[in-house]
Amino acid sequence: MHLVTAERDALLKPIQTVSGIVERRHTLPILSNLLLTKTDGELSFLATDIEVQISTKAQCEKGQDAATTVAARKLLDILRALPAGANVSMELNNKKLNIKAGKSRFSLQTLAAEDFPTVSQSAEFKAGFTVGQKSLKALLALVQYAMAQQDIRYYLNGLLLIVEKGQAKVVATDGHRLAFAALAVESDVDRQEVIIPRKTVIELERLLDDSDEPIRIDIAPTQVRFQFGNVELVSKLVEGKFPDYNRVIPTGYKNSFSIAREELIGCLQRAAILTNEKFKGVRCVVGDGSLKISCTNTDQEEAQEEAEIDYSGDAIDIGFNVTYLLDVLAHVKSETITVALGDANSSALVTTPDNTEFKYVVMPMRI
Amino acid sequence: MIPEVYNFAMNAVPEGAGARPIRLLPDTLISQIAAGEVVERPASVLKELLENALDAGATAIDIRLDAGGVKRLRIADDGHGIPRDELAPALTRHATSKIASLEELENVASLGFRGEALASIASVADLTLTSRARGAPHAFALAGGHRDPARAALAAGTVIEVAELFGQVPARRKFLKSEATEFAHCGEALRRIALSRPEVSFTLAHNGRVAQHLKAETLEARITHVLGEEFARGARMVEAQAGPIGIIGMIGDPAQARASRDAQYFFVNGRFVRDKVLQHAVRAAYADVLHGDRQPAYALFITLPPAGVDVNVHPAKTEVRFRESQGIHQFVMRAVSAALSASAADAPVPMANAASGAPAAIVDGGADAVRPPAMFTPTPMSLFRAAPPAGQPQSQAAYFAMFSAAGATSRAMEAPAPSYLPAPLPEGDMPLGHAVAQLHGIYILAQNRAGLVVVDMHAAHERILYETFKKDLEGERIAAQPLLIPVAFNAERIEVATAGDYADALDRLGFEITPLSETSLAVRSVPALLADTDAKALARDVLKELQEFGSGEVLTRHRDELLSTMACHAAVRANRRLSLAEMDALLRQMEETEKSGQCNHGRPTWYQFALADLDRLFLRGR
Repeated sequence: MHLVTAERDALLKPIQTVSGIVERRHTLPILSNLLLTKTDGELSFLATDIEVQISTKAQCEKGQDAATTVAARKLLDILRALPAGANVSMELNNKKLNIKAGKSRFSLQTLAAEDFPTVSQSAEFKAGFTVGQKSLKALLALVQYAMAQQDIRYYLNGLLLIVEKGQAKVVATDGHRLAFAALAVESDVDRQEVIIPRKTVIELERLLDDSDEPIRIDIAPTQVRFQFGNVELVSKLVEGKFPDYNRVIPTGYKNSFSIAREELIGCLQRAAILTNEKFKGVRCVVGDGSLKISCTNTDQEEAQEEAEIDYSGDAIDIGFNVTYLLDVLAHVKSETITVALGDANSSALVTTPDNTEFKYVVMPMRI
Repeated sequence: MIPEVYNFAMNAVPEGAGARPIRLLPDTLISQIAAGEVVERPASVLKELLENALDAGATAIDIRLDAGGVKRLRIADDGHGIPRDELAPALTRHATSKIASLEELENVASLGFRGEALASIASVADLTLTSRARGAPHAFALAGGHRDPARAALAAGTVIEVAELFGQVPARRKFLKSEATEFAHCGEALRRIALSRPEVSFTLAHNGRVAQHLKAETLEARITHVLGEEFARGARMVEAQAGPIGIIGMIGDPAQARASRDAQYFFVNGRFVRDKVLQHAVRAAYADVLHGDRQPAYALFITLPPAGVDVNVHPAKTEVRFRESQGIHQFVMRAVSAALSASAADAPVPMANAASGAPAAIVDGGADAVRPPAMFTPTPMSLFRAAPPAGQPQSQAAYFAMFSAAGATSRAMEAPAPSYLPAPLPEGDMPLGHAVAQLHGIYILAQNRAGLVVVDMHAAHERILYETFKKDLEGERIAAQPLLIPVAFNAERIEVATAGDYADALDRLGFEITPLSETSLAVRSVPALLADTDAKALARDVLKELQEFGSGEVLTRHRDELLSTMACHAAVRANRRLSLAEMDALLRQMEETEKSGQCNHGRPTWYQFALADLDRLFLRGR
């Protein structure tokens, strides 16, 4: 049974879109497959890992409706390895998916489409709003690196999304540092707070492009759905109570200075070469007009960096895990950043002048 | 123990328990109840009586058992004996010559002091006490239940005969095991006592046959006789002193560790104890040289002022309480670690040698035509610090002398040598010898005085790196990473209390744990090195250990696991070609590195094949 004939790229793109969430190792073999469904001149592609499900579709010639599942990884690798512009045709014969392109022939095993575990969509997508893809992508980029990874406090392995009238806020923390950002949106829904799993956030950021094309976000009690272009991403939510970020973000710090972002990155990266490789401690001494950064390691080697800053607050000697500082510097895009400090034992607040809604809080390290 | 007391109560209950007036119990009954705590089986009788004999200053003790000690248990010593007038009180409860006041109890140095043993034993068995006090014209004997001692014949000391143990207490008798088992327990009781007093000779006879004879000897010899030759061969001596606290003894080779804990002997002021603080300390010292769940064997003797330890915890006195358990823990752990740290070069570590040696002179002796020069360049890797020393003429001579003893044999061996050996082998007295080849990219073959040394290079390098990492971190202040979002958890009350009691100790470890309520705690800061581990589980482990042992070893353990992983990743892998100079450098480092006999996971890193072993393989020199 003929399924589709198309140029390689027309098939490769949707398959790349959906197969990112397919786990390499599974106890349930069918989960490493893609669901291909042909209905009424449209071919849809769907992948899931039970938590997240992504689907997209492409036009194809009309014909008999069909559905099957085939190994995502192999299909993707075959298409990728075929020459660009090759004309690819897929046929379903006898439980095998036959792929032809030029003189190449492939025959892949399939599993029955009925057995494919699709995520059943919630009926109660109450709250929703629409933003430009570019804005959402930028918003996620500002905070996603601060999400925890495999923390036993499972609710930290994700991103807190808060939607309220006119605004969407995102928060991520791993317990050591916290990133907060907000975006004005057109919404008139009641306040909603949901935690989106880490994997979904990373996949979503990967799929979004830098365009003003809209993305629709819908929230149900246990699900969140993103629709953009031809893509639909449905994800379960993380249950649990996210820590109260308001209590963590300090206010009223009087000691602050601004510094060029690239310059600070340079200083930290150089100093970090001689930091203790096991815990990456870097010492920052803020004094009149200067920021001194120093590192020592167990071999008694030492690095010192100094940057001129406009500062006249208290002299503060404070230690940090250098990765936490480099993380934020790599992900904000502004020319300069502002650092506000309380004392050597209090958290530091990093903000950017061009986005007043962005805040990054990091705990010092007692070296 | 409980069944005994319980049994009496059970018998009493049916007669309308509530109606009876409260009365003092008869003396015999009290002794029988006490016996329930102290006298469990023949072995416990033996223990009590041996302790009495030792407290009486005996130098030779003769033990005879019949039917596992149940039918008859007789102990004869040559101690100072008991005068006639004291025989009757000796069999009375709470009568003793060992202490007289609370002050003396607090400083008790004798093994016994409760004054209960003889009375307890007499209450559950037929006991006859025969003793001749020093200077007395003849001996007197007193049987349990009698008041007046009768004249008896005895050269010196005391003989106590216990027959028909539990004859009158069938309930307890049921709990006795087979004759062989009871005898084995008696043997164990003797072993414990014998270890603690090597200067006393012991003879143990069972059913008329001598089962064991230990003559008066040194501690080392006694340990060897009691724990076996095999233990002694790989054992290391432990000896340390810190002020009034001292430790001496022997600990087993990690490679010989066994699956059960049966060969673990701890003595505090000569008294055998089972103490978890001490056990934990030894276990912690063995932490990274033991493979899996294996148990080390050891016999360790701690001496400390009697006031520093409370032995009056349990009637059987196998439990003690230390005033300064944290200090004792540290002390024991350090002493055992130090003994274990002996490097690959067990006895003579050639530190001075290695330092003074000329760099890489080893390969200069000719045969350069055979190998590519690149292999001889001194390695630039910083981890191979120690340069191999030059061979010393006299030891070289000794080496060849050793070979020529084998006469023609050694000629034959030398003949093909130049083709693959690094020329006239400069054989300094390096314990691990000099590398001659690499086998399958996994093993280093080295030749030393004794024969062939095979080294697992990955395992060895792993240990070297691991010890370096550890040394780097030691002495450094522990960096703390305060948490932005504290980890709160429900805790036991004891954990909350511990967190308060040990706030300073926790702070030194990089922890800040504060109570949120009576039953919950918040971790506000963790050691930076362990910032990525599960803070709650880590905090719980640390609190538990602080509470039980007063030390936060668990942290060191976690840290060491991390370092061990790093070492494993950084160590040379199989199939990495090493030049002879590199291999030699590795061998020299092994000699200088602590615990280099085992890799971080407790596997051996090297093996010695003696020439004699090799000869045997080829049936030579017979």
